[in-house]
Amino acid sequence: MKRLQFAALIGMGLILVGAGIARQPEAQAEGSATIKGSIHFSGTAPTREPVKMNADPVCQQQHSSPVLSEEAAVVGPEGELKNVFVHVKSGASPAASAPTQPVTLDQNGCWYTPHVFGIQANQPLEIVNSDATLHNVNAKPTTNQPFNIAQPVKGMKTTKKFTKPEIMVKFKCNVHPWMSAYAGVVNHPYFAVSDEQGAFSITGLPAGTYELEAWHEKFGTQTQTLTVAEGETKQTEWSFRAQ
Amino acid sequence: MAFFLALFVCGAAGDSDAAEPPKVDLQVGKAAYQRYCARCHGVLGAGDGVDAKRFYPRPRDLTLGIYKFRSTVSGTPPTDEDIYHILAEGLPGTNMPDWKHLSEETRWQLVYYLKSLSPAFNENPPQPVEVAADPGPKHADIKKGRALYEQLGCAACHGSSGRANGSSAAGLVDDWGLPIRSADLTQGWSYRGGANPRSVMLRFLTGIDGTGMPSYSGAISPEDAWHLAYYVETLQEKANWNLIAHPMAVEGPLPTTVEDPRWDSVRRTDIRLRHVVDNNGTWVSAPTVKALVLQSMYNKETIAFRLTWNDPTEDAVETVDSVALLLKTPQSQGDMLSLQTWPYDGSPVLDICLWSAKTKEAVEAVAAGFKAVGTAAVRSQRESQAEYKDGQWRLVIQRPIEPPASERASALSQKGLTAIGFAVWDGAYSSTRAVSPWVELDLRNNVKSDE
Ligand code: HEC
Ligand code: HEC
Ligand SMILES: [Cu+2]
Repeated sequence: MKRLQFAALIGMGLILVGAGIARQPEAQAEGSATIKGSIHFSGTAPTREPVKMNADPVCQQQHSSPVLSEEAAVVGPEGELKNVFVHVKSGASPAASAPTQPVTLDQNGCWYTPHVFGIQANQPLEIVNSDATLHNVNAKPTTNQPFNIAQPVKGMKTTKKFTKPEIMVKFKCNVHPWMSAYAGVVNHPYFAVSDEQGAFSITGLPAGTYELEAWHEKFGTQTQTLTVAEGETKQTEWSFRAQ
Repeated sequence: MAFFLALFVCGAAGDSDAAEPPKVDLQVGKAAYQRYCARCHGVLGAGDGVDAKRFYPRPRDLTLGIYKFRSTVSGTPPTDEDIYHILAEGLPGTNMPDWKHLSEETRWQLVYYLKSLSPAFNENPPQPVEVAADPGPKHADIKKGRALYEQLGCAACHGSSGRANGSSAAGLVDDWGLPIRSADLTQGWSYRGGANPRSVMLRFLTGIDGTGMPSYSGAISPEDAWHLAYYVETLQEKANWNLIAHPMAVEGPLPTTVEDPRWDSVRRTDIRLRHVVDNNGTWVSAPTVKALVLQSMYNKETIAFRLTWNDPTEDAVETVDSVALLLKTPQSQGDMLSLQTWPYDGSPVLDICLWSAKTKEAVEAVAAGFKAVGTAAVRSQRESQAEYKDGQWRLVIQRPIEPPASERASALSQKGLTAIGFAVWDGAYSSTRAVSPWVELDLRNNVKSDE
């Protein structure tokens, strides 16, 4: 019997649980192997500049202390690297259908949450404005269809889909030039984003040999190839350096 | 018979879109493209023609399939009619000319050829945005439109009075990484896609792809969209373009302030300004100051000018906003002199009255360049008063009609025309200045002579 659960740890702790088990079993993880990883940055971490939000008082009012930029790279005390998107680049068969459960991209405090996330091709992406100010969501994929939509009202939701795999799709807001987010669009459920501890975990893999790719917005991409058996958990180590 | 009828109908309609588009023949389109378009848009359409760098905005990279002026949902390609319309009308205010002189057949073949340049046209079909019936100007709710303008955050980029001075305006970059300016909505003549309510509505419903201006389709109901569009139309000021200005003759003292109510009764002359490109011939910034409004009054001795121009930022500390009034000297009267190229090595001197937002003073001198004014041996101070408000400078400067010989400044003719020119600097972009053509001041009309 296939185990049908997977958990993708996305950015700021958003957890997606595979949905629609009965209706679309093939859409979700099919095995029981796990790949864990720990991602480090070696070298001097770039300083995270405080973001100047004075262009919009609504943004400024929501933060009592300055927000530090996520763009430059979020590096922990031991070099733990957050916001790395890891996915199975080859070796996994495409899911027959995408989850119907949407991934949420929230604009809150004039900030995208999460900053980096994964989504499956054709899975709904729900874009939410939690701020009482105008955001525009300017998505700039090159393989998928681009869009640039205004969300002027608090609580507004727009659902979009990317139909083809694409690493990565950039989102930005032109009203608040400091706002950016990245989505990794893949056609299977085997992906994860590293957390504050630089850790990630891809679960539910069938036994096999996989090429894994890790992407960071400033430090580029890396790949590793490894083989896992059913039920096995393998630990991987990744090290990025300034380019 | 039907065929002849169709021909007859479209012939009568002249330049209309009603004509039946011809059969696709990419060879014809390609030949026309190479002949008319390649020098700007590049041989392969990548926007890299030989002339490309001189222009702001840059000619479009047509291989990306990103079109600004559409009737379709953000991210979907334009309809054939959208592209045809652009070719017929051009994009006023940019270097993209209209192609009215080409036959309809050629224009359609160009449309097909442009579509063949980008895969975007095969990937997604054009998807027109939903448009409601036009309520007409009588039934448009301007008050509602104004409220929507605020609610929808148009002001963040365009400013609450529409003068391109919103809080997010300064940092905007387009999808090609070049700085871009939101449109000054008070300058209806500068809208590229048309200033009528229908065009304006399509702009904000579809978004202007590539520029950061988002699509509001889904954020506003199709009915409300008309109210907003009619409101935007009310922001547009009517320009009175002219290269001859008729100052108003008055008895007694002239206004010394920008607020003097007498200015309200003085006719405005609108003057287009063109930006002087930096030495490399490429754009370092998006042009901001595009036009200047001249008003003037004079009595027997003195003339007062009120200059009004829109500049999104007040810069009065480091790099400063400033303006120069330029007169030819008696020696250079007949010269063919363009302010686009002046000053150059060995160029003739001009009479320059230079006002700066930092000093709030106007200094006049005869000099061979703008910088030389401050150090000229003979300089005269002119009375001036200025005010910056909500994206707009207003400045009053007075000067004698016939300055005393000791000042060596140029006199204004009361018997003929006197050429006057203007240069404007936006301190936020001090590397470029905007200059006017020569405008003729006519002080003959209302001369009240006491002879
Ligand atoms: C003198 C230079 C020049 C020439 C010649 C020229 N163009 Fe352009 N074109 C431009 C510029 C500049 C723009 C960008 C305007 C803007 O971004 O607002 C442009 C934009 C366009 C666009 C994009 C419109 C949109 O909605 O975004 C199309 C289509 C186009 N040109 C087609 C043509 C065709 C076809 C020809 C030849 C028949 C041609 N152009 C010749 C300068 C030129
Ligand atoms: C994120 C910034 C932004 C917002 C928000 C925005 N605009 Fe714009 N708008 C722009 C930019 C940038 C341009 C200039 C595009 C160019 O130069 O090609 C523009 C151009 C325009 C034009 C001129 C189009 C033409 O034909 O040349 C109109 C009209 C306009 N906007 C109306 C609106 C209205 C109405 C709203 C609110 C519903 C709005 N805009 C919201 C950035 C914005
Ligand atoms: Cu925003």
